[in-house]
This record gives sequence, structure tokens and C-alpha cells, in this order.
Amino acid sequence: MEQTAILEIKNLKKHFVMTKGIIKKNTTKVRAVDGLNFDVYQGETLGIVGESGCGKSTTGQLILGLLDATEGNIYFQNRDLAVLSQEELRKARRDLQVIFQDPYSSLNPRMTVEELIGEPLVVHKLASGKKLREEVIELMKLVGLGEHQLKRFPHEFSGGQRQRIGIARALALKPKVIVCDEAVSALDVSIQAQILNLLKKLQRELGLTYVFIAHGLPAVRHISDRIGVMYLGRMVELSDRDEIFEKPLHPYTQALLDSVPIPDPKLRKEHQLIEGEIPNPSNPPSGCHFHPRCPYATDRCRQEDPEYREIMPKHFVACHHPLL
Amino acid sequence: MAATKLMEVEDLKVRFKTENGYVSTVNGVTFSILEGETLAIVGESGSGKSVTSLALMGILPSNGEVYEGEMTFKDKDLRKLSKKEYRGLRGKEISMIFQEPMTALNPVFTIGFQLRETIILHFKMKKEQAHQRGIEMLQLVGIPDAEKVMTRFPHQLSGGMRQRVMIAIALSCNPSLLIADEPTTALDVTIQAQILTLMRNLKKNSNTSIMIITHDLGVVAEIADRVIVMYAGEVVEEAPVYELFENPMHPYTKGLMASIPKVHDVVDDLYSIEGTVPNPADMPAGCKFHPRCPLASAECTKIRPELKQMNEQHAVRCIKV
Repeated sequence: MEQTAILEIKNLKKHFVMTKGIIKKNTTKVRAVDGLNFDVYQGETLGIVGESGCGKSTTGQLILGLLDATEGNIYFQNRDLAVLSQEELRKARRDLQVIFQDPYSSLNPRMTVEELIGEPLVVHKLASGKKLREEVIELMKLVGLGEHQLKRFPHEFSGGQRQRIGIARALALKPKVIVCDEAVSALDVSIQAQILNLLKKLQRELGLTYVFIAHGLPAVRHISDRIGVMYLGRMVELSDRDEIFEKPLHPYTQALLDSVPIPDPKLRKEHQLIEGEIPNPSNPPSGCHFHPRCPYATDRCRQEDPEYREIMPKHFVACHHPLL
Repeated sequence: MAATKLMEVEDLKVRFKTENGYVSTVNGVTFSILEGETLAIVGESGSGKSVTSLALMGILPSNGEVYEGEMTFKDKDLRKLSKKEYRGLRGKEISMIFQEPMTALNPVFTIGFQLRETIILHFKMKKEQAHQRGIEMLQLVGIPDAEKVMTRFPHQLSGGMRQRVMIAIALSCNPSLLIADEPTTALDVTIQAQILTLMRNLKKNSNTSIMIITHDLGVVAEIADRVIVMYAGEVVEEAPVYELFENPMHPYTKGLMASIPKVHDVVDDLYSIEGTVPNPADMPAGCKFHPRCPLASAECTKIRPELKQMNEQHAVRCIKV
């Protein structure tokens, strides 16, 4: 079955310029996102994993248009987002929504649930008055909240319920794509399961496409169809979920999977630790960015940038010595 | 193996003074820590696991107090210690590492100063000696270029390095008990694996007991010998780690285990425990878990279950098992 791409990311780059000093202005570039190429298919969940500083959140913000790309293009339903007029962009943004990590800081504490969930509809002038309230109630039911909670404020809710409010807000404009930026990372285990199940249910019912950005690998595996692994601003591997977990080809993916503690003491193991830490993105290592921590690194890795290529059907990897 | 008990906690109750009167967040917790073992305390936010550890360290916030129960450490009654005596114990006999090393380290002093401070305080060493010991400690926790790191400030180090420094400070006086409150929660997985391995090796090489507080059952499975599961300020289950993962008995423990997504075994829908942790100011009567429990019956709403000893090492607080 040939899947249609709803989002196409082409050579996407985002460099932040940092200035140091007052008189002698030294500028350094932080290459937060450094040449990404991938598609997001209609109706799928694409998980993006990586450690802090790998650029996964920046990627999400670029897709949402919250940041402008330094280079490269994002095509949403075959249209380049960068060349749209203001009016067209407003419309496109309705289709691209976001769920944030921290339901404590992403909701305005002075607004009631009704105002919070209704706000996107008001901003886009899609509903008002009685119809607005009806729509808000409809959305609340969809995410498992009750009508009696309309007039409450965020502080009256627990973390899980706040995340439900955040999800209702994201759904208000009937989007096609939702970027979930660490949407369950701040929640307790039992609540995390509730929210993951809710996201899956909504996807089935509404035909949503998710870009699920997270560092928690078990949750990503649970919800994703395909998974991309990022390291220092680049995609190092992307493939079907089970391929990634069972036959990782990039040494970094393998190390990352190896580091996840398994909740079963019988499988307790000596970790294949990867040494060292993530280098500073303003001064990435030469060649393959992962080479200083890679157990398989050779001279070629130190000098030559590995190409991101489709090594097997639908399995992309950027490595000179993939683990075949 | 009849290891001696290092710490014994008996029916510990902690309450906080709030605008609306006293709120009790730890309601009769009993457990002990043996010499050389790693005890994990598992629970979700609001289960009272962190408050318990703060009570043991004698560093509850000013509006909190232990109002009942006993805490005995090496035959010393911790509740009867004077402030000065407690200070002599803290950092030397019992030390603690926290979740966010950025907030636990003092930002205006160098790493070296903070390491020396602890060592000099407890060992009455000369500055040069303390400095040398500080460097050794940093090397012990796997920090490369330890001498240089001594001159650095906390913000100049990465999260993983800061956590190593915290561990180095905590271990600098050879404590008998190390309390680790969510030590890896703020770290990336590859760094988490490094820190967990470090803690495991430390235990192997010294005889330090570790009490690790976490919500991550993966971390528990990796590092613990024994596990205590807490819910709403009570111990609901206690068992050796293998036993607990093989044969969880309390419905809450079972629910927790079922609700973690498995890396190696994908299911369509995750099991989820409905509802949320109750507010400590408004606890349900009877068993505190009954509003969320799939097995709850009328009885559960009335009777507060006792912690039942199922076998020598496995105890459960539920009338249904």
C-alpha cells in the first residue's frame, strides 16, 4: 500500500546565532537542526526520539511554523509553507496543532476551562455564543472531561486532567496533524497510560496524524508506527517501529535502546554503556557527529560525513558502518 | 543471610500545617533497611515517598513534622536527636542525593569548595588533604579530569556530571546509608544507564546501603534488592524485587506494572488505572485505593486493611488477597 505524505520535510535546517561579548562581537552558530529529510504519512504516528539537545523539539516547532527555518522547506499537503500568504498560513495553521509537555505552564491560570478550550475557536472566528459552548462541551466529552467542569480553573485539576484540557484545545480546530511535544513525559505512570490510550482512540476516531516527540522510548514504541532517531540535529535512523527496536542499524540507536531500563529484574544486564556525553551542538565533532562515542568508529567516520540513505526499503540510516 | 538492620522505621506519620489545619501525607509507614542492601521505594506523585525520606534526614520543610512513630538508625532514636547531633549524622552517616543537581548544588561556589566543605566539616581534615580526597571522590564517580572539575562552577557542567558530583559529595564521608530521591529522573537515558551502573558498582565495592526513591519500575528492576510500594502515604506492598515483579499481589502494584509500555512486547491498548491519586486533605475512607480499584467491594470502603504478611518477605495491604 502506497501511503500519501501529508508532510514532507526537505533539507530542513535551523541555526541559532549566538553573540558573545559587547565590543568584539563573536558569533557562534548552534546548528540545532542540520539537514533533515523525512516524510510524515497521512494517518500515521511518527515518533521522534533523541536525548536533550538533539533538536527534536526544534523540529516540532519548525513544523508548526513557530520558528522560521534557516534553510530547507516543509511541504504540508504538497504546498510549501514558506511561500504561503498570511491568510493561507492562518488556514494551514488550523490543520497543524500542538500538545505541550507541561500542562502546568501551558495553560493560562486565569482562564476557565471553557475559555481555554474555546479560545482557538474564538481566535479563528469559527464559533461564538451558544454554539461555542456546545462545541466546547463536545470537545470536553471527547477527551473524557465533564460538562460540570466548564467553569473551573486549571489549578483545580490534576496533571492528567490538565493534559486532557490541552488535548481538547489542540482538537478544537479539527486539525489534521498534531505535534505532541513530550506530551506524556511529565505524567505519572498510571496517568501516562490513560493519556496514551486517549491519543490512540482519538487517532482512530478522527483520522489524525501525530508527530510524537519524546525521550521516553517505551511510550514512543507504544504509540508510533514509524520512529526516527535524532542525534545532534540530524536524523541518524528512521524506520518502522519494530525494525528500529528489533534490528537497529545505527550504533547510536542500539546504544539508546540498550540504555533503557527494562522493568523485569530477570533481564537485568550489564549495559553496553556508551561513554561520554552529547557534544555541544555549537561545536559538533567532525565527520559523523557520533564518532567520539561510537564503539565502531574508524578513520573514515572522523573525516567524512555519512550520507543519510535508504539502505533497505523504508529503512533510512546515516552511518558508514551500519550494523547489518 | 541475617543482615543487621541499619534503619528501622516504625509507624511513621508526617503531617503538614496548612491554612485548613493539619494534612497528613505519611500515614503509618513501617519498614527497615538492612546493611548493604538497596531498597527501592516506588510510588506516584503524592504517595509520600519523598516526604518519608526528608523525615529520615530530618530536613522536613518548616511546616511539616513527624507526629508519631519511630525512626531508629544504628540504635539511635532519630526523633530524640538534638539539632547539633543530627547535623553530625547528616552527610556523614546518612547522605542524600536529589533529583535536580542544579538546584541542590550551590551555584556560587566551585565544585571543589563544596566537596571540601563536607569533608572538612566531618573529618576535621586540613584543606589540602580534603582537596586531595575530593579529587579521589570525583575520580571514583568516573569524572575525567577531576582536578580541573574541582575549579568549576555547577553551571559549567552537564546534568550527568552534576549528578556525579552530587554522588561524590554524598559519598565523601563514607556514609552507611545513601538516600537517592529520583536520582536519574532528570537525566537522558544513556546518562541514566551510566549513573545506575555507577551506583551498582559503588554498592559492590563498599557496604553502603542505598534507599532509592523512584516512580520508574525499570530503574527498580535494574538496581533494587527489595521494594516497597507506596500509595497515598501508606505502604501497600513490600517484597524482594524478583518476587514483586513475578508475583505482584496488590491491585495497585498490578495496575502499575500493567500500565508501563513495554519495549519488547507491544499491546494495542495499555492497561490504565482510572482516576487519580487522592488529595491528602480528603482521603477516602477504608482502603485508600478503593475508588480506583477494579476489585473494590462494599467492604473495602469501610475497613482500612492491615499490612498482611503473605510469606516471610512479602507483605500486602489488601483484604482481597
